[in-house]
Amino acid sequence: MRNRLLTLIAFAFVMLGFSGAAHAADKVSNDKVASDKVKAVSSFSILGDMVKNVGGDRVEVTMLVGPNGDAHVFSPTPADAKMLAGADIFFVNGLGFEGWMERLENASGFTGALVVASGGVMPITMHEEEGHHHGVEAGDEQDHGTADHDEDEATDPHAWQNLYNGEIYVKNIRDGLIAVDPDGAETYEANAAKYLAAIEAQDKAVRAAVAKLPKARRKIITSHDAFGYFGNAYGLEIIAPEGVSTESEASAQDVAKIIRQIREEHIPAVFLENVTDRRLLDQIAAETGAKVGGTLYSDALSDEDGPAPTYLDMFRHNVGALTAALSS
Amino acid sequence: MIDNLVQPFIEFAFMRRALVGSLAISLTAPPIGVFLVLRRMSLMGDAMGHAILPGAAIGYLLAGLSLFAMSLGGFAAGLAVALAAGLVARSTVLREDASLAGFYLVSLALGVMLVSMRGSSVDLLHVLFGTVLALNDGALILIASIASVSLVTLALIYRPLVLECFDAQFLRSVSPLSSTTHLLFLVLVVLNLVAGFQALGTLMAVGIMLLPAVAARFWAEDVGGMIAVAVASAFGSSVTGLLVSYYVNVPTGPAVILACGAFYLLSMLVGVRGGVLWGLMPRKHLEA
Amino acid sequence: MKTTAPALGFHNLTLGYDRHPAVHHITGEVSRGELLAVVGPNGAGKSTLLKAIVGELKPLSGRLDLDGLTKRDIAYLPQVIDIDRSFPISVFDCVAMGLWRELGAWRGLDGQGREQVIRALGTVGLVELADRPVGALSGGQFQRVLFARLLLQDAALILLDEPFRAVDTKTIAELIHLIEHWHREGRTVLAALHDIEQVRAHFPRTLLLAREVVAWGETANVLTPANLAKSRTLTEAFDTYAHVCERDEADAAA
Repeated sequence: MRNRLLTLIAFAFVMLGFSGAAHAADKVSNDKVASDKVKAVSSFSILGDMVKNVGGDRVEVTMLVGPNGDAHVFSPTPADAKMLAGADIFFVNGLGFEGWMERLENASGFTGALVVASGGVMPITMHEEEGHHHGVEAGDEQDHGTADHDEDEATDPHAWQNLYNGEIYVKNIRDGLIAVDPDGAETYEANAAKYLAAIEAQDKAVRAAVAKLPKARRKIITSHDAFGYFGNAYGLEIIAPEGVSTESEASAQDVAKIIRQIREEHIPAVFLENVTDRRLLDQIAAETGAKVGGTLYSDALSDEDGPAPTYLDMFRHNVGALTAALSS
Repeated sequence: MIDNLVQPFIEFAFMRRALVGSLAISLTAPPIGVFLVLRRMSLMGDAMGHAILPGAAIGYLLAGLSLFAMSLGGFAAGLAVALAAGLVARSTVLREDASLAGFYLVSLALGVMLVSMRGSSVDLLHVLFGTVLALNDGALILIASIASVSLVTLALIYRPLVLECFDAQFLRSVSPLSSTTHLLFLVLVVLNLVAGFQALGTLMAVGIMLLPAVAARFWAEDVGGMIAVAVASAFGSSVTGLLVSYYVNVPTGPAVILACGAFYLLSMLVGVRGGVLWGLMPRKHLEA
Repeated sequence: MKTTAPALGFHNLTLGYDRHPAVHHITGEVSRGELLAVVGPNGAGKSTLLKAIVGELKPLSGRLDLDGLTKRDIAYLPQVIDIDRSFPISVFDCVAMGLWRELGAWRGLDGQGREQVIRALGTVGLVELADRPVGALSGGQFQRVLFARLLLQDAALILLDEPFRAVDTKTIAELIHLIEHWHREGRTVLAALHDIEQVRAHFPRTLLLAREVVAWGETANVLTPANLAKSRTLTEAFDTYAHVCERDEADAAA
């Protein structure tokens, strides 16, 4: 009996010793080797692309959730924590997009700068009734900070789907990079200005394309509530059969309502987006005769040889798919 | 009133398909569930849901998000686990539940490792598990074929299977069919579960296999009777769940399983065989 | 029809689990049509021996001859523990399983078959309970069900492992009657029993086992006080640190 007790106590001390050693080792490896480039980590691919455009050669960007990845169900690994620990600056979307962020920050012991790209964006909320989106139009105000929102409804985090918000993101990224690397301020300003111009041009193009569509046909069904901001900004009605994230299960009533609505309002097209299961959408399309209009990119870019490898390409592709399905 | 019950199915094709799919699975899963319950393997369904992961992962690694490849892989993995567990239980000191627990955990861990090695954060299982509201032609054909195969097989091995559950030693002493029966049964379990997962999602697949079987215990005195009650209650619950999901706007899978659960509670209270309330009522005893 | 060829032959048979012998160095013969009681204290190896005969256990060494008897010719009644009494099966269906040899896995029970089952139930006095689930029966009644099943198996060799444990005296008397009937029909019957007086009264030959053969032959010669005392001392505990048994080498050298 005494032998057993002594063994247990000795074991406990050994365990303590190990964790202490591990902690010490961690501290040593955290001292960063000085390098030329700013080490930036972005939470997902769209943000990563933006950072690349603003940072140019001065910044080395890694993404936690890569192309075609689903940030809603992402689960960080020890490798991710290690990568973050060695970073100078961490860009996240905010608005509740990265549910795993706090866990990761704690686990990695990250001590760099955190930039919330959506800071200053006027958020819209998700509404569950009728599958429609109502919401506040993104206004001209910039220095609001995150607007107060009701905790009752989930905030829609997909703010980047409105190019105007995209511009806010770029400005936040630029300011964040300047704060961390003041020597590159000129480069960042120049890159950002160029990028902002491109974004504005794209915004105009989107509006022009939508304007060509007959008013009655400006509605689509898509499987994921990711296009609220897009719909609001560019005058498209977006109806989704599922809730905010890819996890909630549809009820028969939800599906019936959408089918009825498609039939009554003659909604022409049903779109898939690149992270969820297409079967429910296929079923709805089959029953209503609506066209399955191709894939829309919402939460992630495609990979290099795909149709949407950058933020702006994503818009070009999405708008192309939308107009193709809705104009015929 | 009848009109209300029938109208959703008239108006919507997806409701009709859901009904057909539910009927098919209600014919094939509950009888298997009855045997699982009698053999005290009720938790096997849940274990299977995890055990198929490495197979699905390998299917995904080889063929991408192909439902066929992933289902085939899942079936292979599930079968491997079930067979290994059965084999170990027969030839070593471990009993069936312990050996199954061991193998499915290994399988699950392997699956998690394989999935994370690929680096993609696409939720494999989310793609693999469907919903009864989205039964396309492929899924319906899959369920219907599995149902036919299962029913025929069950009919063939019915007597040895009953005997194997009741008095396995006797079966071994009179027939060489004992091992074959056992293996065939395991194949049926995995087949129905994997098809069920793909078509209906894990909750509904496992639930419709087990809950009606558990409830049937309170109504029937023999295996045949249990099977009949289980099938009937499974189908009744499916219809109820679909209608509730339609009128009350709740997710369908859980609605069906809760309907099964309600019948189970009802059975526990007023079931003819051992219902709790009958025991509380004072009744005159019979002559003999 | 009696023949001189033995039904069972044991040749230096050692049986056990995980290299620890439960019974060792059993040598002897059982004639056809013999009625043999296998007796010994707890842990003597009686169940082990019966399990080996029916094929549930492979010998650790030595040989067991079954003289051409296959599994189908053997009916085995194990100790009741392994059967799931809560299983929803009726008395009738349980007994009907005894007709497996004729019916196999698929053939239905015809009129003649049903009659056979009813007759078997009648022999053990359970016809009125035919439709009851087996879980509703008492220990004694269930034992009678198993005997009825044995009846239908119509086997040449019948092995009974402690058939009267936890059974009422009236049932025991009836079942012993049945066993003697089998003996008169020329079947070979081995029964592992713990009640010495039963054995003295009804069984002509006895094997006294205490992990090895203590005595084997006419009951009166076997069940002597000296033999019984010896059997009690020989049944020692399972020795985890036992040495390899030297007896085979010693016998070979001798």
